[in-house]
Amino acid sequence: MSISDIWLFIQQGVLSGLVTGSVYALLAVAIVMVFKTTDVPNFSQGEIFMSAGYVALFLLVVWNWPYWAAALLAIVVTALLAALFQHVVMQRVTASRGAGVQMVIATLGFAYVLKGLVRKTGLGDTPRSLPSLVPQDPITIGQAVLTLLDLAILGAAVVVMLLLWLMFTHTRTGQAMRAVGMNSRGAQIVGIQLSSIRMQVWALAGVVSAISALLITPKILITPDIGHLAILAFAAAIIGGFSSLPGAVVGGFIIGIVENLVGLFISSNAIVVAPFMAIMVVLLARPQGLFGGKLQVKKV
Amino acid sequence: MKKKTKLSSLALIASLHLLLPSAQAQSEPGITDKVIKIGMFSPMSGPAMAYGFDVINGARMWYDKINREGGIYGRKIEVVLEDDRCNANDLVAAVKKLTEQDHVFLLNGGSCSVAVMGAREYVERARIPLLMLNASGDGALYPPSPYLYGAFSISQHAVGGSMVQFAAEHLKAKKIGYINNDDAYGEWNLESAKAQVKRFSGVDIQVQSVSPNITDVTAPLLKIKAANPDVLLLTAYARPVGLIVKRAFELGFNKPIVLAINSTADLKQLVDNVGNKDAFKNVYIQEVLADVPGAPKLQWIYDMYKAAYPELAAKSGHPQPYMPQGLPSAMAVVNALKAAGPQPTRAKVIEALATMKFDSGVMAGPIEFSKQDHAAQKSAIYIKYDGTTMTRVPGSFKSSWTYQP
Repeated sequence: MSISDIWLFIQQGVLSGLVTGSVYALLAVAIVMVFKTTDVPNFSQGEIFMSAGYVALFLLVVWNWPYWAAALLAIVVTALLAALFQHVVMQRVTASRGAGVQMVIATLGFAYVLKGLVRKTGLGDTPRSLPSLVPQDPITIGQAVLTLLDLAILGAAVVVMLLLWLMFTHTRTGQAMRAVGMNSRGAQIVGIQLSSIRMQVWALAGVVSAISALLITPKILITPDIGHLAILAFAAAIIGGFSSLPGAVVGGFIIGIVENLVGLFISSNAIVVAPFMAIMVVLLARPQGLFGGKLQVKKV
Repeated sequence: MKKKTKLSSLALIASLHLLLPSAQAQSEPGITDKVIKIGMFSPMSGPAMAYGFDVINGARMWYDKINREGGIYGRKIEVVLEDDRCNANDLVAAVKKLTEQDHVFLLNGGSCSVAVMGAREYVERARIPLLMLNASGDGALYPPSPYLYGAFSISQHAVGGSMVQFAAEHLKAKKIGYINNDDAYGEWNLESAKAQVKRFSGVDIQVQSVSPNITDVTAPLLKIKAANPDVLLLTAYARPVGLIVKRAFELGFNKPIVLAINSTADLKQLVDNVGNKDAFKNVYIQEVLADVPGAPKLQWIYDMYKAAYPELAAKSGHPQPYMPQGLPSAMAVVNALKAAGPQPTRAKVIEALATMKFDSGVMAGPIEFSKQDHAAQKSAIYIKYDGTTMTRVPGSFKSSWTYQP
């Protein structure tokens, strides 16, 4: 491999990694939001993301809706679906003093239900693409080749992250969500309705998932099994510290870039294991994750 | 008196001798003087229905034709159907039911390679011949079992070899780029591709194996592009192939790209997914039928389907693309039963299958078995596809890979 090849690989690997990484980051943010406020690792995150894509696809392909209407309804439906799941299932499991494992199983069950429902739409297991709103013409940055769609994905993901940051820091709802995440009992004492906030968090996670699906599916294609993408988002969240929103964002970008660099400099076969190698390296060096704060010893 | 007894004994022996073959045949399950019962199974419902629903219909219409022509030595073929949903558990349950409850003479089914692998142990234990439908079924076919025959569409072990033959012979490629999946299918087709490369001096192969779940194909494609191959062969599944063709166009890769049969079930959707017909300027697709789908050479199959299933043929989406692949295995069953003679036994059918060779008129190459290889079909034709029109490349290209015990 020549020096010029290495330089090309680095440029292309990093830039392409930032694009896919931005979507992993969004999904990781959705996972962390839910985890911080409900203590549940949401294993249906990938299927919520996948369902959003299929709602949009169904409206576009079967009902021939205009793109803006299909996208809007996909976001609304996904938010409602996620909020409803929290209200109908998770809240009851919590009320019946369900253990963490029961809540995890509930999210896994939700994942299967969503996948089954999608398969009932008749769109089958054929890989499909949502139309791209942006032309897919290639553009060159340095020696690397991206497309306008790639830049739009990256730009839109960054805007969504900024909006989330503004919401968490400058709105009462966002601050209430953070309060529940820090100390749910304390938040309840000061008058925050836990059930309402948790529903809103799930709805917000649904919105973020739907936006991610609308952004990335024109690039990576969609099948009912595309929910596996959430594994990469979990890896991103773990690298970031699992309870840190900025950590989730950084973790997403790291995973995207590491996947490409491992594929380019080690082996294409190793791309699948790259995120887990990254987790191991980060956790060995910093067990609490990159943004996980200091390790604390708890009394038991 | 003694003479009379001797004569009647001789008459008895003679009549027993005459009756013996018939009695022998009828001691076999699923055979009477009038009927041969065949157990068929495929995914007839569920998400994988497209792989088997019309394939089984294709096979059945061949049996119906044989019945109209008088059957096999006067016996009509009676089919018992089961739905395996492309799932190993359902498939094994179907095979057991057909064998133990319906008492069929032989089995003719299986459209999903992984699922059909699950039946191997049972079929060997029950000593019942199983001729797969369109499953390539390499996992069940190697090492060969006397009871299992398949790959009537094409053996996955032949997919890669045939593509290399096409690339080296027709495209005159010296340096071949090859992207496969990093699973059993990928390993099998790569094994034959590497074996085929050895047949040509000065031909080199650069391989990248990717996960079927890959989301960003930049890395493998950039490495292939850096190796500057004369042609890129893709044996991955439909989603990775869609991503690779799209990314190859974005990265300015302009060498010929050849797509294996594994990714071409829905070409219109593939073009939609790639999003730009210019990406197909230099694309070839592998096809296992004898000609381009819809070509006059294959019209008789579609006419036969229309006559057999007029209501189904009137519906959109039918016949499904894989329908013709059901015929060769039904032809093999009929040929084996004919070769087994008027008093067929499972052993005679197996003996006939072991050396069977015929041209189905449906597939790209002959249907051919040997004692060492029970994969029926190893050839493919190639079609230049620009995103709209298909132009056949003359000739068919055969994999030379053989199983080495």
